[in-house]
Amino acid sequence: MNAYPPQAGMGVGVGSVVGPTSHYASSEERPLLQVQDLRVDFRRGRSRVQAVAGVSFAIRAGETLGLVGESGCGKSTTGRAIVQVARPTGGSITFDGVDLTSLSGSRLRRARVGIQMIFQDPISSLNPRRRVRDIVAEPLDIWKKGAKAERDAVVTSMLEAVGLSAEVAGPRRPREFSGGQCQRISIARALVMEPRLLICDEVVSALDVSVQAQILNLLEDLKARYGLTLLFIAHDLAVVKNISDRVAVMYLGKLCEIASADTLYRSPAHHYTQALLSSAVEPDPSATERPPALQGEPPSPIHPPSGCRFRTRCPRAAARCAAEEPAMREIAPGHAVACHFPLSTSDQSQASGATAAGATAAGAAPSVSPG
Amino acid sequence: MSSFPTDPSLQGDVPLLDVRELCTSFSTQRGRLQAVDQVSFQLEQGQTLGVVGESGSGKTVLARTIMGLLSGGGIEHSGSVRFEGQEILGASNAVLRKLWGARMAMIFQDPMTALNPVMRIGRQITESLRLHLDVDRAEARAIALSLLTQVGIPSPEERFKSHPGELSGGMRQRVMIAIALACSPRLLLADEPTTGLDVTVQAQILDLLASLQEERNMAMILVTHDLGVVATRTDQIIVMYAGRIVERAPTAALFSSMAMPYTEALLGSTPRLSNPSHTRLAAIAGRPPDLAALPSGCSFSPRCRYAQDLCRRQAPPLVAAETPGHAYACWFPLGGRVGPAPTETPVSVR
Repeated sequence: MNAYPPQAGMGVGVGSVVGPTSHYASSEERPLLQVQDLRVDFRRGRSRVQAVAGVSFAIRAGETLGLVGESGCGKSTTGRAIVQVARPTGGSITFDGVDLTSLSGSRLRRARVGIQMIFQDPISSLNPRRRVRDIVAEPLDIWKKGAKAERDAVVTSMLEAVGLSAEVAGPRRPREFSGGQCQRISIARALVMEPRLLICDEVVSALDVSVQAQILNLLEDLKARYGLTLLFIAHDLAVVKNISDRVAVMYLGKLCEIASADTLYRSPAHHYTQALLSSAVEPDPSATERPPALQGEPPSPIHPPSGCRFRTRCPRAAARCAAEEPAMREIAPGHAVACHFPLSTSDQSQASGATAAGATAAGAAPSVSPG
Repeated sequence: MSSFPTDPSLQGDVPLLDVRELCTSFSTQRGRLQAVDQVSFQLEQGQTLGVVGESGSGKTVLARTIMGLLSGGGIEHSGSVRFEGQEILGASNAVLRKLWGARMAMIFQDPMTALNPVMRIGRQITESLRLHLDVDRAEARAIALSLLTQVGIPSPEERFKSHPGELSGGMRQRVMIAIALACSPRLLLADEPTTGLDVTVQAQILDLLASLQEERNMAMILVTHDLGVVATRTDQIIVMYAGRIVERAPTAALFSSMAMPYTEALLGSTPRLSNPSHTRLAAIAGRPPDLAALPSGCSFSPRCRYAQDLCRRQAPPLVAAETPGHAYACWFPLGGRVGPAPTETPVSVR
């Protein structure tokens, strides 16, 4: 109904078109998913837990965003809030131009068909009493997509695409499959609806390394084949780096840092990111020298620390960190950090053992413009 | 005994733990299943042995067999497990109870199910102290509090009265370690002690184990699926596949000159922080074999990229490599053959 031609380069939204937000210059294309100031509260007895306390990020079509953090940091809740399984208490989630938080009932269900989710435990996320073919066909049956023969063809080709034989695997039940194969079935079920965004919540954590590598490679292949956009939630830093274009680090309900995967791992700016990286174990006996690991555990999200939430475990914490919450700010193009005293480039050079292949483009711009 | 090369440095008096040709099998509906097959190794005082393998490789069954936790109907053992010179394979529970907690202890992957959920933390630690050491309640309590402090539990007085459900996963694992170390055992078996914990907590627990181990000159068997966990924290490593040792070497030698294609494949499928993002992982095709229906020949041959006819016909024995203490079970080891010649001439050597 909108008769206006698209106004290239104009930041002002016209009609019902959702304009680019402040996080993106108007010249860039609209992100597929825009999460703005997302908040999710849970009641726990008489107290409220802020599982997600104001998280903003965007995912461009075709990219993979990794979301890392310790257990309890709110990364899974963020994923669940995007599909509105955990209803947000604040903020907006704009998927493909539509704010999902404003929808409910059948309109919400229709809008989120384009987002599918895969979970950590592949065996318990499949109905043990149904046949694999029926499990994969279920979303198509619910949405009555195409005729029966067309659905059958889609299921067959999708099972083949995830590396299962439709003929052999189709009539069987989940218990006859290993964890890795069940994860393939979950992926097939998620992809039959031709989603644009796939949310992967710890999808390889329960798998052996050899199977984990197969699933990671499969996700990369399917992403290229179907033009998928991925939100990859995991606690394993090496896994996240392997699959992600950009990585966001989360701590106690808030984002600490977001940057391209290679930049984040080569030159982390947040002390928490650095602590995570130095805690990671590498299969390399020569990697013995490393800074002392982070002490203690995250504080309770029921009573988060004032100011910066990481300050109670931060080696660099000062009075300002308790008084004032650090805002997310860009320290280099595409590299944002929420810290009053981010690591300088000289600190960063010793931060990660990564080989500095090629001069840094983003990392070589330490000029900080606050606000 | 030809397939049992001994490291000269490991000889001397009696090793703390001497495992020889150990086999454990289970009887199942599908027939007898060989979970541990001809495993031999020795462990000296204060040393750490890493046991690496995928699920189903037999690493946990090995640890539990050594500990004497597997007995009962349908389970058969053969071979020998000598602990401090004493044969403990098949020993009676009365004998084992004197060892458990006192001389050898074990910590498990899931601290929640390993702890008693309705018993206070303090009592779970003092239990073994009262049993094995001649101490009264007050002394036991004092030792338990000092143990909780040593394993890094904040406000131990309060935690002494807590139930396991009130603690986080990392804290529970610390309690497990405190219980295991209460009577200063000579050997600690740690079965996936950090799997399921966050990286920061994993680093803390591994550091804690290493420092306590050094302090007490305690030997440790660290069972894990993660090559990263064993790379910097062990003296020697055993790689297991389908119940057998397929490679055994001092840690540095394993990583610098691995001979077994399976070890190489395991390392290749591990994502690494030092690699750029979107590095294609060298995944191993297929999955570990069904122990009830092992392939003929080398059990890794169906997944091995270097497999040849010989591999599919005949299982390779564990043979010594050039490096002392290094042994592998492969007809066509990486970097060429370095051990004795095979019983028949291979078609071609890489």
